Order: sequence, then structure tokens, then C-alpha cells
Amino acid sequence: MNEKKLRSKSGHDRMLNTIIYIVLILMSIIWLFPFVGLVLQSFRSYATEYGGMVAYFVPKEFSLDNYTWLLTDSGSSFPRWYLNTLTIAIFVAIINTIMIVAVAYALSRSRFAGRTFMMQLWLILGMFPGFLTMICLYFLLKQMGLTQAGAIPGLILVTCASSGMGYYVCKGYFDTIPKALDEAARIDGASNARIMLTIIMPLTKPIIIYTALTAFMAPWCDYVFASYVAFGYSDSYNVAVALTRWVWTNDYQGYYTRFCAGGVLVAIPVTILFMCLQKYYVEGVTGGAVKG
Amino acid sequence: MKMKKVLAVALAAGMVMSMAPVASAADDNVITIWVADNMVDLTIEYATAYLEENYPDYTIDVQAVGEGDAASNMITDVEGGADIYAFAQDQKARLVSAGALSELSDYYAEWVAENNDAGSVAAVQNGESTYAFPITSDNGYFLYYDSSVISDPTSVEAILADCEAAGKGFYFSVDNGWYNVATFFGAGCTLTYSADESGTYTECTIDYASDAGVVGMKGLIQIASSSAFYAGNSIGDATNVAAIVDGTWDSSAAQEVFGDNYACTKLPTFTVDDTTYQMYNFGGYKMLGVKPQTDENKALACFDLAQYLSDAEVQLARFEAEGWGPSSLTAQADEAVQENAALSALAEQSEFAIPQGDYPDDYWTVSEALGKDIVAGTYNDYTDEQLLEVLTDFQNQCLAAVTG
Amino acid sequence: MSQQKQSLSVRMSKGFTRIGRNIAEIGTTFKEGDWTAKLSFVIMGFGQLVHKQFLRGIIFLGTELLFIYYMVTFGAEYVSKLPTLGTVETYVDKSGKIPLTVYGDNSFLILLYGILTIFVIVAFIFMWRMNVGQQRQIQKLKECGKNLPTTRDDLKSLLNEHFAATLLAVPNVGVFVFIILPIIFMVCIAFTNYDANHQPPTNLFWWVGLENFKNLFSTGSSGYGGTFLQVLAWTLVWAFFATFLNFFLGLGVAIMINKKGIKFKKLWRTILVMTIAVPQFVSLLYMYKMFANDGLVNTYLLKWGLIQTYIPFWTYATSSRILIILINVWIGVPYMMLMTTGILMNIPEDLYESARIDGANAWQMFRKITLPYMFFVLGPYLLTSFTGNLNNFNVIYLLTQGQPTTMSMSGGAGGTDLLITWLYKLTVNDTNYRLAAVIGIMVFAVTAIISLVVYRILPSVRDEEGFQ
Repeated sequence: MNEKKLRSKSGHDRMLNTIIYIVLILMSIIWLFPFVGLVLQSFRSYATEYGGMVAYFVPKEFSLDNYTWLLTDSGSSFPRWYLNTLTIAIFVAIINTIMIVAVAYALSRSRFAGRTFMMQLWLILGMFPGFLTMICLYFLLKQMGLTQAGAIPGLILVTCASSGMGYYVCKGYFDTIPKALDEAARIDGASNARIMLTIIMPLTKPIIIYTALTAFMAPWCDYVFASYVAFGYSDSYNVAVALTRWVWTNDYQGYYTRFCAGGVLVAIPVTILFMCLQKYYVEGVTGGAVKG
Repeated sequence: MKMKKVLAVALAAGMVMSMAPVASAADDNVITIWVADNMVDLTIEYATAYLEENYPDYTIDVQAVGEGDAASNMITDVEGGADIYAFAQDQKARLVSAGALSELSDYYAEWVAENNDAGSVAAVQNGESTYAFPITSDNGYFLYYDSSVISDPTSVEAILADCEAAGKGFYFSVDNGWYNVATFFGAGCTLTYSADESGTYTECTIDYASDAGVVGMKGLIQIASSSAFYAGNSIGDATNVAAIVDGTWDSSAAQEVFGDNYACTKLPTFTVDDTTYQMYNFGGYKMLGVKPQTDENKALACFDLAQYLSDAEVQLARFEAEGWGPSSLTAQADEAVQENAALSALAEQSEFAIPQGDYPDDYWTVSEALGKDIVAGTYNDYTDEQLLEVLTDFQNQCLAAVTG
Repeated sequence: MSQQKQSLSVRMSKGFTRIGRNIAEIGTTFKEGDWTAKLSFVIMGFGQLVHKQFLRGIIFLGTELLFIYYMVTFGAEYVSKLPTLGTVETYVDKSGKIPLTVYGDNSFLILLYGILTIFVIVAFIFMWRMNVGQQRQIQKLKECGKNLPTTRDDLKSLLNEHFAATLLAVPNVGVFVFIILPIIFMVCIAFTNYDANHQPPTNLFWWVGLENFKNLFSTGSSGYGGTFLQVLAWTLVWAFFATFLNFFLGLGVAIMINKKGIKFKKLWRTILVMTIAVPQFVSLLYMYKMFANDGLVNTYLLKWGLIQTYIPFWTYATSSRILIILINVWIGVPYMMLMTTGILMNIPEDLYESARIDGANAWQMFRKITLPYMFFVLGPYLLTSFTGNLNNFNVIYLLTQGQPTTMSMSGGAGGTDLLITWLYKLTVNDTNYRLAAVIGIMVFAVTAIISLVVYRILPSVRDEEGFQ
């Protein structure tokens, strides 16, 4: 009797697993579909099938036309845009991480007058629709000479300046590290700065990698503000501004496959980084969210 | 206490930052030019040669900023905008009122009037004042089609029937105020705005809320309810195209897409309640504007350069490179221009064209909304009276652009 | 109600007492201070320098010099024009060979730099007060015969007692200049007539009081009230689905992958996570084209004979909305899956064990253990992502740009427009900043109220200290 129940249960379980497998396979197909489509279109031959939009999934002829055009043609500034974005992404990743860690650490470890006020103020400020202030930021940056030709440092400055407001997840992670560690070190005579750098930081690798990775990914999608600051100066465009123009502006006919190829090239560094650091990303995000 | 310290340091540093405004004054010897992407190389070539000869102190910086973006960019920050830029005429009033266009002095205004076709001259004027140099006269649309699919391109009904039979599409931007005037004007409606010297809209003449308006509306509804209908005006994005209402700027893309079956002609007719009407188009123009200048020498260089770039020689170069139809009378007389297929389709259409004046943004917004509703089939079952109501509402909103 | 009023008046009277105390202290400092302290009232940092506190002295003196230079060369002019926002009109000089433009006052810059200068003045007063406070400190320490803190001590304290101040200084400056200042500026714009017809530098704009707010709430032909409500409603619906649908589906996927007996866990996760790595502007633009009338989806459905005519996904407001929410699932589920996976692993196994002994089935365990735990842990995250979705510009703009527009909505708003994308169109396409600023304030009010209320009742926030 007992045995029978067990067997029926395992049979039930097997059926459930089969259903789950089917669901997962279907999901994988749906989730990968746009990705595969993008890659396939990027290899479509420009010479024989033109670069416009088509309604078939698999190209009739494969070639590297689009990639060679993007990377080597004199009419293409893609390498420049790519480099711009990469520069922004690297700087933003480094500076943002430093800022966020600094804020998160201070808020997690110190209790000072005005702390709650500051946290609530920042929370509320974060809800103001950001780009309403775009025009204002534009003129602030312009006054400093950081628009148009100087748009790259300008974008880095604006992105980093307010990055401290994203301390949330990081603070949550710091909160999970026992305060007893600090106290012990303090008894040994270590200063607050030393405690942070030598005791706490080594324990927070996942959250630092998570923070840096998120910061690194954001500039690749920055469209709105970047297009505002670069303002008719194509050498300062980032990939998002430049490539969306190919899709949205009628001046660019037959650029669709080039857009796809550009998209694939943009996805490469982020994908590789993500695959390598996925473990830390998960640890960071869950560790931080546990405490929020 | 700590918070106070933080604040103090923060404020002090903030002060230092706000001192930073040591505004890097733009280099005054550089003339910035914005043109469409496919005109960049050509513009660099001609402008550099011209400046070397006449104004060796000045250099140029040519950027690819499409005619559509140029206007909104200029309005955001006139100071940071280009010295010379290309734009389509519907943006003119807006640019004038935002102070982004410099008026032409009599010398240039007379030159423009003498050397260009009448429509383009009217297009660059507001009241008595001239504000820009015309560079093309071809900013209108007509029909491109695949001759292997479409047997009779003269009527919409025949085109749609052929498309439906072949499972192909007829692309027409019913949801765009620039294209959907085709049936309204075809049915005999009028819609014009006039703006004064300061770019302010002073008057709107519109009679869409009429029987003719209902005919125009029904024409659009009939087209939009066909299964072969697609809303679109960009041939490079059309994946299932047999016929498309598009302009000369897409002629090379159209040749790519249609290959040997490439053909073009004037817009078709449409039939409502057994009466046949010819579709009209907007005859539009592209022009070069000069932004208000504060330095006399640079202003002179800018105006002379803009004049040169809109002269017959450069207009012909544009025609040869990308098939842009010239506005210059000399260039229009050129043999190659006369023989161009796309341009002759446009010429056929010119009999049925309304020269495009100024239209405020509100018009484009409202007419897009009307078009979207038509495409969505909102009005498919409406009676004539109900359509008239919709059009009355539309008309009122168009009028509000002036009074509001 | 009366209690609140009382607390407000108590607070106000407290504030006044504080100001009074400050003034009294400044007075005593001056009266009892020696000549260096008195001179320091005019020359900031003098007392500190005399007492060999070089770092403090130099900072204060430097601040004063900078301030004077700033006000003389830049600030004073702008502040003085702030009440009118400029009166000198731009004109065109036609006397020369060529018309030349002579620019007058630029209302925009007057407003921007005027506000900036007011802040600089406030900051300076603050620094001055601190300077006076330090004179008092010097006085007191000297009376007690104690040593004054040296530069070395000051620097050291920045790494120890005042380490938090060191860490927070730069982030605060950043937030101040690039967030707070622009927000105040935009709020001010809501009280001016800055729009397409009053566009600096050629035209002036000026203060108009509450006129813009009146326009928004009047529902007549020129009012935007009705449209505002329609857009607001969809914004809320969207934020709800975008947050909670993603949460539940993400949780579901995580549970499926985590289930005992499912193989290739890592593979499934990696496949889903790949979508995070592709920049949104690429994947969203691709998705939009995919569902176009002549896009991949319709073409293949037609080819396989599943439909007779194409499905116009993006033509109707309702179908576009549903599609947007579904595409957002595609984007959001991998994130949620990652998060919930981590948390699922953290739920103590003995909770389930004891529930199983009590005879609970899988569904009951999910409802009584998994969900509450999830909500507790992810509460703040869900809240931030809800407000984030209220302002989710990218997904909507890259997909539909708010289309389809319709005659029944004014101001160019479309069926899928969120308040934020509508704002974007108003500012960038129509340069109607006055209206945009008013709507911006409304959006801000809505999000701030929702999140503050929720934020306060979240258990994990109320219990901040308890957790550590």
C-alpha cells in the first residue's frame, strides 16, 4: 500500500517534470528567438539582398558585408561610436561603484543626525521624472563646455554625479555583514577608514561586481539624454543614439541589417562580461535584496 | 553634527563647481553646417573649395543631422546649433518664431527670387520677408510600384485589387498629416495657414467640415479597410511592398527593392459614391537657413556660403548624387533632370499639387491622430453625418492652433 | 487633524527658537571674542590662521574670496534680474550690410543661474555661520586651556570620526547640483510661460503664477485634464502589470528550474539571462518590427495559413498595451528569476519540513511560506520597481513611442503613452515646457505619495535596525 502510493507519487512527479521541461523548452525558444533573428539578419548579404527590412527569418545568402561596412567603411563612424560608449561605460563603472559603495557604507555603518532625512529625501528625489530636467542639465553642462564636442566627459559627469542615489541594494548587502567585525577591529585601534578598506571590502566582492556590472551595462542603452547632450555632433554619439537613428530616421534607407550587425557587436562585450560574472551578479543582487 | 559637516563640505564644493562656468566660447572661425547624412561628403567638398577661395579665414564642420531633427535641435539651443542648416519648409514658421532663422537681406532675397521657381520662392517667405535659400523643389510624393504586380496604377481600387490578389501590400501613410491630405485636397478641400514675419500663425483657412471633407475621409477609410493596406512611407522598411506612396528621396532605395520592375507615376485616383477624384499631393521644398549671427564678417561668410550651396551648380551635384530635384531654374533646365523618371512622375503630379505653406505642429499632431483613428477602423461604420461631426471636431482643433 | 496642526506649530516654534539661539550665539561670540575673532567676522578664516589651523583658515578664506569673485563677475547680475526674468528684448540690427542679431536678456539662463546663485549665497551664509562657530570653539578651548585641533587632527578625523562625512561629500554635491538644482528649476518653470512662443534667447518669458495649473485642470477645449486622467490610468495599470506579472512569472520560472529532478539548471538560467545582456534599444526595436503589420510574426502566420489577413498589433490601443506588457515580461522575467532563485535557496528548509508534517500540500506551502517570505524580502525592491515602472521611459518609447494617437486625446498623447513619454513629447517635440513642468509635478506627486505610503508600511523598512 505504502509502496503503491510512493510509486504513484513518483509517476505524478515524472509527469510534472515532463510538463516543466516542455514549458522550459518553449520559453527558451521564445526568449532566444529575437536574439537568433538579430544575429541571422546581421549576416544577411547586403550585396544581393539589400539592407532593408525583410519578412523572412533566415537570410538567403550569408556574408560579412554588414560587419565589414561598419568596421572599415569610410562612411561609417561605428568604431568611433563604439569607442565612445566603451569609454563612458568603463568610466561610469569605476566611478559609480566608488560612489555607491561610499554612500552605502556610510549609511550602513554610521548613525548621524540627518541620516534618515537624507535617505528619505533621496528616495523622493528619485521619483521626479528625470528628463524633465534634461534641458536644465544640458545648459549646466554647456556652461562647463561639456556638450557637443565635450559630450563624452559630460555624460560621464552627469551619470556619475547622482549615482550615489542608487545605494539601495548595496547598503542592503553591507547591512548583512555583522557589526561585530567592526567593533573587534575598533578595539584593536583601527580607524573607520581602515576598517572599511581592509575588513569590510574584501567581504563584499559580489556586491561590488554587481554594482560595477549594472553601471557598465547602462550606458549602452542610454538614448535620451545622450542624444540631447551630443546635439548634432556625430563624433560624440554613443551607439544607442547612432543606431536608433538608422531605424527611426527616413534618411537611412537600407540600414536595417547594419543596425542588426551593430546591435550584435554591442551585445558581445556585455554578454561576455555577464556570462563570466553571472555568479557574482546573483549573489550580489540576492544578498542585497535580502535586506533591501 | 556630522550631517552639518557633510552639508558644509557639499555646499562649498558646489560653489566651486558653479564657478567652473568658464564657458568655452565656440570657435568663431568655424562654420557649422547640418545636412542630411547622404549630403555630408558632397557638402564638405563644395563648401571647403568655396571657402578656400573666398573666405580663407573660415573652416567648416559638416554634421549629419536630418532635416527633421535639425529644426528641433535648433530650437532647443540656438546658440549651440549650426550656422547653416537644411530643413523642410513646414518647420520654417516655428524656426522663425524661435529666433533660429536669420532674415535674408534684400540682396540675397532678390537673388533667391530671380533664380528659383515660383513655388520655392513663396515657400521661403513669411509675409514680405525671405528667410532661407531653397535647395530642392521635389519635396512631394507620388506612386512607386512594382510593374509585375500592378497592372493599372491609375486608380487606387485597381491597385488594391492587384495587391490583394498577389498577397502584396499598398503602402500609404494614412496616419500622417503630410500624406493624408491627398484625398482631402483631391475632393476639393482647402487647408492653409499663414504666418507673419515673426513666425506667429495668424490665420487658418480650412473647410474639412463639409461634403468634400466627408468624401476625402471616405476615400481614406476605403483604402485603410483593404487587407492589402499598410501604413508606411519608407520603402526600406516595407517588407511586402507592391506599391508605395513615397518621394524622390527614396528613389534609389525603390530601385533596389523593385529591381527591374521599378516604375513610378503620379498618384492614383480614388472613387467615392461613384464619383472619381484625383489624389493631390503637397508640393514641398527643402531649404538652407542661416541662424542669426552676431559677427558681421562671419555673417557675410555664412550668407555667401549658403547662397553658393543653393546655387545651380551644387543643386545639380545633389541631383546627380542622390536624385534630389532642383529648385533652381537653371538646374531644372538641365537635360538629365528633365529625363529622370522619379522627377517626371513628380512633374506629372505637379498639375495636382498644392504648394505647401507653413503648418503648425498642432496640425501634424491632430492629423496624425485622425489618421491613426482611420487606420484603427474607428470610423468604418460611421454615417456621413457622424463623419461630418468628426471632421468638425478636427477642423476646430486645426483652428485652435491659431487662436490658442 | 488638530494634533498635526499642533505638531506643525510646535515644529515652527522650535525652528524659531533655533534661529534665535543661533543669533544669540553669534552675538556672544562677537562680544566675548578677542580681536582675531572679531576680524574673522569680516575676513573669514582669520582667527583659524592666527591659531595655526591652516587648513580650516585657508578653506574659509578661499571660500570668501571665491564667493566675492563669483558674485561680482557672475552671480549678482543674474539674481537681480530674477524677479522679472529679464526685460531687454532681442532685436535685429539692419543698419549694416547684413542683418545682425543683438541678443537681449536670456530668461532661461537668468532663471537657471539666478537659482544657482541663490544657493551659492545660502551656502556662503552657512559657511560664514560655521566660521563664527569655530571662533567660539577656539575661544572656549583656549579658556579651558586645551589644545586646538591642528590640521593634522582635522585630516585624521576625516578618516575616523567624520569618515561618513568624507564618504558622503562628493555624492551629496553631485545630487545637489545635478538633481536638486534642476528639479527646483523645473518647478519654477511651471509658474512661467516658457513655451514655443516664448523661447529664449530670442524671446523673453516671465512669471505667470498659477495659470498653467488652471489650464491643466480645466476640461474645456484648451484643457488637458481628460487626457491627463486617461494617461494616468494606463500608467498605473501598466506599472501594476509590469511589476507584479513579472514578479509572479519570474517566481514561477525560478520554482520550476529549482525543482528537484530538473536537469540542466544552469543552461535554462543562462538562456534566460542572455536577454539581459542584449541592450534594450536593440532588442526592443527588433521586437517592434517583429510585430509590425508586415513583420515576421504576421508574415509567417499568413504563410502557414493560420490567418487570412495580418493582425494589426500596433494599430489599436488595447492590443498595443497587451503586447507591450507581454514584451515587458520577456525583458523582466529573467531579472526576477535571478532574484527569486537566490531567495528561494535562502528559505530555511525546516519551515517546509514542519509544514509537510502538518500535512500541508504544495500550494498551501507556497501560499503560507514562500510568498510571505518573498514579499518580506523583496518588498522594497518591488516598491522601487513599481515606481520605476511608472517612469519606465525606455520600454514604451523604444517600442511604440506612445502610439497610436487618437482624436479623443489632446496634446498629442497616444494610447500607450505613459505620463513620462507624453512629457517627453511635450518637451522635445513641442517645446511646451510650461505644460510639461506642471504635468511633471503631478507625476512626481503621484509617485511620491504612493511610494511613501507603501514605504512606511513595509515590514523590512520599519524594522531596519532589528534585522542587523
